[in-house]
Amino acid sequence: MIIEILLVPVGLYLFCGFVFAIAFIVKGVSVIDEGAHGGSIGFRIIIIPGTMVFWPLLLKKWLRAKKQQHD
Amino acid sequence: MSASYQAVGWNKQKKKYDWIIFSFCVVYLIVFIGVTAYVNPDYTFETVLVRSTSTLALLLLHVILSIGPLARINKKFLPLLYNRRHLGVTMFTVALVHASFGIFQFHALGNVNPLVSLFMSNTNYGSLADFPFQALGFFALIIFFLMAITSHDFWLHNLGPKVWKTLHMMVYPAYFLIIMHVMLGVIQYETNPVFVLILGVGSSTLIVLHLIAGTREVKKDNEEFGLKQDGFVMVCGVNDIEDNRAKMFCIDKERIAVFKFERKLFAVNNVCKHQNGPLGEGKIVDGCLTCPWHGYQYLPQNGQSPPPFKEKVSTYDVKVQGQNVWVNPKPYPEGTERKGANF
Repeated sequence: MIIEILLVPVGLYLFCGFVFAIAFIVKGVSVIDEGAHGGSIGFRIIIIPGTMVFWPLLLKKWLRAKKQQHD
Repeated sequence: MSASYQAVGWNKQKKKYDWIIFSFCVVYLIVFIGVTAYVNPDYTFETVLVRSTSTLALLLLHVILSIGPLARINKKFLPLLYNRRHLGVTMFTVALVHASFGIFQFHALGNVNPLVSLFMSNTNYGSLADFPFQALGFFALIIFFLMAITSHDFWLHNLGPKVWKTLHMMVYPAYFLIIMHVMLGVIQYETNPVFVLILGVGSSTLIVLHLIAGTREVKKDNEEFGLKQDGFVMVCGVNDIEDNRAKMFCIDKERIAVFKFERKLFAVNNVCKHQNGPLGEGKIVDGCLTCPWHGYQYLPQNGQSPPPFKEKVSTYDVKVQGQNVWVNPKPYPEGTERKGANF
């Protein structure tokens, strides 16, 4: 029963993560980590699963980095 | 190091190791499937695949967990350490194949969600003999998944070394879950005690290796240094350190590596900024201290990675009196230039 209830939010969380990952690998990753400048396409693809899991942390970093750029 | 990220940091050696790992896995699976088909021709292909991948993943997990202590006990095992990350991802991939076929065979053919079926088809959570052991394997797989997806340096940098290391130390709880997963599964499905025996030998070997390596580490950390003078501590003789190599000392809880390079001695913090690897177990390559774990490099005179890299470690004062090496354990800020000691 608990498993059935848990599967929906976990699926939603990962779906949001996937949507975020697309924007993140295109733009965000270079904003938060200078090591991504000139990084290969393979690198951007390889971080997608991790981005889907840790997306709230990366979103926070991205927003903070953008704010620092504006300041 | 922290230049542009690539998908996989391959070099000639790593490619060679990866080919060895790949070839071993293929040969293992072919031999296992072939022998099983000959001995037990009644088994379905799915069953043989589930069993072959489970034993291969378990074997790889034991090798992975042995590499750390083995490399501390004998430097000859250090090259294995360089490739441990790739071995870990390989082990996860094999475990994923095992889990996928297991779930397909046992849980995907009904009208219940396979993941729900995994937890609900057997609810004897209070019974040891009938415990739903597959759930334990599932949780271990989740840990291996998190480790595999964060095995790139990007994650080390963005999660931070502490979080990253903690996440990857979860391999030990995962190992415990796997042992229980296998043992409880064996109890329910096998009558041959050889499986329990093999697993017992594997676990015992791991425990003994970790105990030997840990005892050596504690002994080194608690080493007493008798002679002290103006903040300096006498650590060893000049000839105790090989050319282009280091000796490590733990003084006042500071882990220090003293390197010998071009007739001079330099002291830097022993802990690599990448994954806390022991710099003192590395050597000087192209004029740089090179971490034995993943090849991160630092200049001996200032503890800075050569440009364009940006890692820095603390430096220390070192002097030579007669034939003795003295080190001051008070660290300078990371990347501070020190002139070293002539001898």
